[in-house]
Amino acid sequence: MRNTFRGGVHPAERKELSRDARLRLYDPKGEMVFPLQQHIGKPAKAIVQKGDPVLVGQKIAEADGFVSAHIYSSCSGKVKAIEKRRVLSGGFAECIVIDNDGLFTPAADYSVRDSEGNLSANEIVQRVQEAGVVGLGGAGFPTHVKLKPKDPDAIEYVIANGAECEPYLTCNDQLMRTHAPAIVEGLELVLHLFPNAEGVICIEDNKPEAIHAMEIAASGKQRISVQTMITKYPQGGERSLIQAVTGIDFPISKLPADVGCIVQNVGTLYAIQRAVLYHEPLFSQCFTVTGEAVSEPANFFVRVGTSYAELLEACGGVKPGMTVAKALAGGPMMGVAMGSLEVPVQKQNNGLTLLAEDPVEQAEKLMTACLHCGRCTTVCPVGLMPQLMADAAIAGDLERYEKKLYGLECIQCGSCTVACPAKRPLMQTFKQAKAEIQEKKKREGGGQK
Amino acid sequence: MNGMLNISSAPHTRDRWTTPYIMRMVLLSLLPATTVGILVNGWNAFGIVALAVVSAVACEWVFNKICHKPDTIWDGSAAVTGLLLALSLGPQTPLYIPVIGSVFAIVVCKGCFGGLGKNFINPALAARCFLLISFANAMAIKPAVDAVASATPVGALKAFEQVDITKMFLGTADGVIGGSILALLVGGLLLWSLDIIHGQICFSVLIGFTLLIGLFGGEGFEPRFLLAHLCGGGVVMGAFFMATDYVTSPVSRLGQFIYGCLIGVLGGVFRLWGNTADSFSYAIIIGNVCTPLIDTYIVQKPLAYRKIGKTRRVKREPFRIPRPVIALTIIAALAGLALSGVYSVTKSTIEEQELTKETEAYKAVYPDAASFAVAEEAQGTIAAMEGNTTRVNKAYAAKDANGNTIGYALNVTSKGFGGNVTLAMGLTADGKITGISFTELSETAGLGMKADEPAFKEQFAGKGGKLSLVKGEAGGEQEISAITGASVTSNAVISAVNAGLDLYATVLKGGN
Repeated sequence: MRNTFRGGVHPAERKELSRDARLRLYDPKGEMVFPLQQHIGKPAKAIVQKGDPVLVGQKIAEADGFVSAHIYSSCSGKVKAIEKRRVLSGGFAECIVIDNDGLFTPAADYSVRDSEGNLSANEIVQRVQEAGVVGLGGAGFPTHVKLKPKDPDAIEYVIANGAECEPYLTCNDQLMRTHAPAIVEGLELVLHLFPNAEGVICIEDNKPEAIHAMEIAASGKQRISVQTMITKYPQGGERSLIQAVTGIDFPISKLPADVGCIVQNVGTLYAIQRAVLYHEPLFSQCFTVTGEAVSEPANFFVRVGTSYAELLEACGGVKPGMTVAKALAGGPMMGVAMGSLEVPVQKQNNGLTLLAEDPVEQAEKLMTACLHCGRCTTVCPVGLMPQLMADAAIAGDLERYEKKLYGLECIQCGSCTVACPAKRPLMQTFKQAKAEIQEKKKREGGGQK
Repeated sequence: MNGMLNISSAPHTRDRWTTPYIMRMVLLSLLPATTVGILVNGWNAFGIVALAVVSAVACEWVFNKICHKPDTIWDGSAAVTGLLLALSLGPQTPLYIPVIGSVFAIVVCKGCFGGLGKNFINPALAARCFLLISFANAMAIKPAVDAVASATPVGALKAFEQVDITKMFLGTADGVIGGSILALLVGGLLLWSLDIIHGQICFSVLIGFTLLIGLFGGEGFEPRFLLAHLCGGGVVMGAFFMATDYVTSPVSRLGQFIYGCLIGVLGGVFRLWGNTADSFSYAIIIGNVCTPLIDTYIVQKPLAYRKIGKTRRVKREPFRIPRPVIALTIIAALAGLALSGVYSVTKSTIEEQELTKETEAYKAVYPDAASFAVAEEAQGTIAAMEGNTTRVNKAYAAKDANGNTIGYALNVTSKGFGGNVTLAMGLTADGKITGISFTELSETAGLGMKADEPAFKEQFAGKGGKLSLVKGEAGGEQEISAITGASVTSNAVISAVNAGLDLYATVLKGGN
């Protein structure tokens, strides 16, 4: 039995490029850059100064408030500067730059397992918070916040997200194949916080080895089961997974915890296990370098702060004779198009995809007027009507967009844009409309005061 | 890493579906109907199809040039419009008609409203209606074989005459070029199984139409009656190819369902109470016009806002029969029906037709008779002869206006060269033949078939007793001159007639 959600698209998977490349730790050379904001929430505050020596796993920036996360060094060496550097988003942001000595001297021994049993719920959350764990699925939401819902007893499902619906990326697949027991242990730790919850590990059916490994690791565990999901984007989206597991749909104003669910990426669960049982802070995560233009696609445990350019070099660079049309931080569905590879890997990043041909560029040549074919409506996982939303947005009828068409419910998964035979840039239109509505609300809210 | 990297908003991938792909698939799905239409109707039909498509595409190109718009002929939508228009025209339509229609469709209905995706009614249908109103004579559907205008099956349906469903189903009946229901169904179900057209629309059109015809058609849900209505008047073409036009149909599932039912019901109303055979075109156009209204008010809510009951609904992968399988099954079932069930469906029609033919034959051989009544005295002998090669099938007494028996009319059979030779013959009260008329004759053309020529037939009048065949000129009272080169046929006719004369001599004469 395979579970799934309503709608969705199935873009070319291209996972075969890297799916069998074993996860390996990559030790970078040269300087490492740590942006102070690598999560949703307030940026962290630097607690080191220029010239300070640092070790692997040493805290270099401290969370500013509850919704924020500590940042740890992933190398040993000296703080070179605290300055504005170019980051992934394309702009400049405050970063701690460390001159890597190449020795990777750890601040503590992270291979020793904490023998202390029966940890309290608070203790677990504290250790997760201390380790600076954030959601590794892409959003980078501080994990300790997610682990502290208003009513822990009301949580019915803890969903381990191993769907990895993003095309090209295979690092979670590799992680599940090689570190299944650790992931299950991480899930058990989370389940410990929610006495009434059931643990469900969700994996798309294009990863049979991962499903097998996780089933073995979860066998005999009373509260944990593995569910196979149909390979379909956005299967790994929080809402899609909750719909597939529980059948519940909920408005965008609600959080998963409001409907009794906590969703954690398998990478995050692995980080939780390392943090709680080994006191290892989050300074590395699994990461895929792939794409048609990469010589030897690979899966890494990559150290935070490593530059994308260096990771590409570690994969043998660009395939001879090929030009890169587009570089994506992440996969083609959710990934960000990069202007330069000379930017650091952040905690929540999970891939670099180099495309030899840019499908968007090709699609622009094929663009026609909207045919009203309704494919966007068919694929929308939220159940919206993107075509009518686009009409309303283009006509400037934001009232209809918001009230009648529920335009703000859009989760911006991009399924409609992928499916559109007329190649209309739907998601961009919706982003703009959403921004306009929020801007208008802000203005009106301000006017009332 | 040299050169500039492309920057754009996510997602960075696209589906293989494109506008030209959709249009190509629509063209492909119309291919069976087009092929059948051309094969059945000949070169003029080919000319209509070619002219409509070419002029639609050319018109689009010229219009875009004049209006300084980007060239859009390669998206295929103009070709689809032209082809749909051509398929909805009669095969004998003058060749200027499709050209005028295409120009109207592309320039007035599509171009003037902003091109692809902006038209508010289906261009092909609008052009068809424009032509129907403007060139009523040229648009009248004439049979392909002879030039005498006769009612199309739908015209016949409206007049409650008998129609041949088999012919309509296969596309050999008089009607539009794209009249083959089987071919249209193959194409339509192909589109549906490829997910190009919405099942909600085409099936709700068919269901709405069937329900209305069934409830108010006066014949109830009699399958033959419903099938005849469904097979005629562009219902299938409308449901699968016209109503499902993306641009002019609603987007939400519920909206599509309402739109489909509206068209189906309106089509039925026009069919039953309207005075035109083109009811479906108008029904679809009214549906098209309602589309913006439906799209404004019928909008689906996001899943989270729909009422789905209080219990938790666990969404499992539903068991679905793949659409191609369903489509193939339907086509196979329908084809099977067409081949095997057709006889039983049309049997009574055939019988009725034969009866009329027979009565007409009696009248032809006995023009003096006012009516015919079964000759009871002969029935026993006739029953005894059943199964014989040469036999009398039926015997009637010919009555004058006062009800007096003035003679007899018989139906007699013998075996000829190509099958049974059956004829009606009239006898006066004193046993003289008034004339013969064939009701079944399938002999060799030019030889045996000469039996049906007056030169042969007229020899029988006034003769009686027992006839014999002679070669060359017939002289005697009881002699008939044989047809040269067709002695088997001649013999069969003589044997049949003699069987009738024999019956007269043994039974009817005595009874008188």
